[in-house]
Amino acid sequence: MDFPAGSYVVGVAHARSAPARDDVNTTELAWEAVSAALADAGVGLADIGGAVSASQDFWEGRTISSMSINEIAGGTLRSEAKVAADGVMALLYAMARIEDGDQTLNLVLAHSKESQADPHTVELAGHDPYYHRALDPDETIAAALQAQQFYARSGFGPADAARIVAAARRHGGVLPPVDAADVLASEPTADPLRTLDRAPLMDAATALVVCDAATAQRLGVPAVRLVCGAARTAPFWTDRDLTVAPELSGTVDEALALAGWQLDSLERIELTAPFAHQQLLLAGQLGLGEGPELVARFEGGTNGRLPLNPSGGWHAGSAGTVAGLAATADAAAALRGRAGRALVHGATGFCTQSHAVVLLEGVA
Amino acid sequence: MTPVPSAIVAAGQTDHRSRRLDVSLGELAREAVDRCLASRGLAFADIDAIVAGNMEMFEGIYLVDQLLAAGLGGTGKPVFKLNTGGTVGASVAIACHHLVASGRYERVLGVGFEKQSEGSTQSAITTVGDPVWERAVMAGAIGNFAAMASTYIHESGATEEQAAKVAVKARRNACRNPHAHLKLPDITVEQVLESAMLAHPIRRLDMCPSSDGACAIVMAAEGVAGDLAEHPAWVHAAVTAHDQQYMGDSPKRLAVMRSLRAASEKAYGIAGIEDPRRDFDVAEIYEPATYAELAMYENLGFCAPGDGGTLIDEGVTEMEGDLPVNPSGGVLATNPVGATALIRVAEAALQVMGEAGEHQVDGVRRALATGYGGNAWTDLMILGREPR
Repeated sequence: MDFPAGSYVVGVAHARSAPARDDVNTTELAWEAVSAALADAGVGLADIGGAVSASQDFWEGRTISSMSINEIAGGTLRSEAKVAADGVMALLYAMARIEDGDQTLNLVLAHSKESQADPHTVELAGHDPYYHRALDPDETIAAALQAQQFYARSGFGPADAARIVAAARRHGGVLPPVDAADVLASEPTADPLRTLDRAPLMDAATALVVCDAATAQRLGVPAVRLVCGAARTAPFWTDRDLTVAPELSGTVDEALALAGWQLDSLERIELTAPFAHQQLLLAGQLGLGEGPELVARFEGGTNGRLPLNPSGGWHAGSAGTVAGLAATADAAAALRGRAGRALVHGATGFCTQSHAVVLLEGVA
Repeated sequence: MTPVPSAIVAAGQTDHRSRRLDVSLGELAREAVDRCLASRGLAFADIDAIVAGNMEMFEGIYLVDQLLAAGLGGTGKPVFKLNTGGTVGASVAIACHHLVASGRYERVLGVGFEKQSEGSTQSAITTVGDPVWERAVMAGAIGNFAAMASTYIHESGATEEQAAKVAVKARRNACRNPHAHLKLPDITVEQVLESAMLAHPIRRLDMCPSSDGACAIVMAAEGVAGDLAEHPAWVHAAVTAHDQQYMGDSPKRLAVMRSLRAASEKAYGIAGIEDPRRDFDVAEIYEPATYAELAMYENLGFCAPGDGGTLIDEGVTEMEGDLPVNPSGGVLATNPVGATALIRVAEAALQVMGEAGEHQVDGVRRALATGYGGNAWTDLMILGREPR
């Protein structure tokens, strides 16, 4: 059977993520993911035509942060580009490079070493220097203002978000387990949020080996088709209603329409957000449920409906910029060698300002 | 898969200056976007996706594309934010090309912007060096180009006078470009040679300025390009070749610009360029320093190795020469880093479209544009009057 034209995932891997990987530098952390993904695909670095990476210079503490990984991602004297956003955006760009015939075998890599940055300093720098910074905002403060509004309007509350965190830790298996009571007893940060409401800062990297149909067929390893993707950006968090995310539903609707799929044909949905209440908000925006039933879907008690974030998502132990691509890797791993469909979402910015989704289908 | 032919159909720039105190960063970017869209009667509603380029540590604004999303017309659209150093503007143009050529989008807006007066570019650039071995001796762009120029002089025998001629050409060409920053109509070789020594052999007038500025283009698919421009600038090749992390790993980096060689050889093969000096009508190349332009002549195959100085002596790359290089004034006249390489692409496109105004070269059918950044990285495009 000939593979349909398009882009395919033929190798995936994560570096070992941890709150602080003091034993490796950025290049070595990324190489853990890249070398394992190459091995998974059965190819070598010399076979790679180029790379699209995702990283944020501010978190890396340097400019042109992709210079740190160029040599170990197949970028030396080959085609390399860096997207400063969640890794799903890097994947969408890599798909375009494959689908126009420019590339046949590429790496997509997302990496972040959050242990080396001060989050408040970085996030404060994301605000207008004249009008915002004097108020000393950061991502936690923005999310807290959002959570206050969201809880007031939705009927959800901190106890529901706490269950999301506990479920994520359980599914991910990277970080020590917590229960909802632990979340609710953790240190307050900005009302109504507590420390564990936010995904912990981590050092993490994820790599995907992606290719065109002919290469996927030639390699003969289990492949997952990247059917299509879409992305939309919302206004800055200070300029919009934070209790809704129409750009997310618009992105998902666009991607599903491109694929000719229905939401209920999916067996897996991964939503990426750094705060637990944001996952409830995004899932609600997609019409995936309400009230206790929606929380239960994150916990795996699906009552016959597909589970949400079976990978555990960002809270399970990933990092900003990496989390969406990590969920993509997990979805691809789950679909390899069999039929099945998944939707993976990546988010960038304060209160998930930008949304990107990719649709995956296993090749039986 | 067969790519959808793509073409640049519109380009717009700000009026580049050392300090644009009249506008904010967002307003600066918007000035270029508005001029670009207005040149074809386009509105944000006509744009399917946006690719933004900016080196955000230069101004110190994290997630700058998110902060400025609405002003850039990004609301409700995909915004791809790239930052690949000095190459970023060309990376933006190449990304616009891929997004169109893949068939995913029909009209993609690319925008690059930098307001260097509000930040500390050289401090940020210093972070690309090895913290122990390189930062102290090759801090910022000037230190890097001093080391590179020394190796180039050693290998090629190029003289200070030949480098100075590049400085004169650039600043005089800039006088024909209403957007250019550094215009010096009366500049002489002697003035360049007498300008302050920054880091041997780089003198003040050998080096590019630091500018506030922005540039925007619209890349369109075959089906709509002809409706938007009378003579679209069709993409014949779009090639990237980046290199290792540290300059110290590759000696002779300016004498032997291996990423430029790799990218140009590949692009020439794709576009059917057999003799670049003959086959190109104009080139807009990313020359942050005078010596770099001479080395680029050689590494782009405009002349034999070691003959870069001779090429400028013979006037080949002057406006009236066989192969005008940087009629806009180039980077030596205008350098808002996040936009600089996109300006090269935009200027090449304007030449192909026949819309470059006073610095238009007659009869341009095929143009070369390059971006330079990172550790001597190259992003390169070839544009032509006819679809490839």
